[in-house]
Amino acid sequence: MKTRFLFPYWCRYIGWLLVIIHIPVMVLKKMEVGNHFQGYNTGVNTGLFSPDHLFFIATAVFMAIGLFLVAFSKEKIEDELISQLRLDSLQWAIYFNYFLLIITLILSKDGAHILFLNMLVPLAFFIIRFRWKIYQNNRLLGRDGDLR
Amino acid sequence: MKNNIRVERAIKNITQADLAGLIGVSRQTINTIESNRYVPSTVLALKIARVFNKPVEEIFMLEDTD
Repeated sequence: MKTRFLFPYWCRYIGWLLVIIHIPVMVLKKMEVGNHFQGYNTGVNTGLFSPDHLFFIATAVFMAIGLFLVAFSKEKIEDELISQLRLDSLQWAIYFNYFLLIITLILSKDGAHILFLNMLVPLAFFIIRFRWKIYQNNRLLGRDGDLR
Repeated sequence: MKNNIRVERAIKNITQADLAGLIGVSRQTINTIESNRYVPSTVLALKIARVFNKPVEEIFMLEDTD
């Protein structure tokens, strides 16, 4: 029942670091270019490793890799309950993502943003749901009086 | 599925943490099994039974709804 293909425990901290780094970079860049920023996919400046492309790498890709590491690193004690919670949460994340994807495809034609959303929502939702379940278990553990 | 791990632990006088340590899972897992929120795998059920030196059927029982 051991889950394979997980990153070591410490990868989670690298993941959070990447997610956190991404926010000030994003804010600074937005402040610098103001409203002139056209986004990577609009065709203004699309050369490989052009400033816009680098900006895209520094934000979206960092954040995606960060979330990925957070979501798929091992827990301290990786047992079958954790595997079960992980699978459940993945299922919820996929359901939620496709629900959102279908809604946005119906209501919007903004392909680039749909893609961007689609990149982050499954991982973000998975992390929130997984952590929430672990938090619930820990809370019940405290309430039941652990030493009896 | 019901279980009487809590009773067996009391007889053997070990805590949830002790039992968790003996079979290599987290305390949360033992707690969720005891409160019937999680059904353990066969492997884990057998390991628990081995700790208490009893057959699995004496620790885990089927209910009518199963």
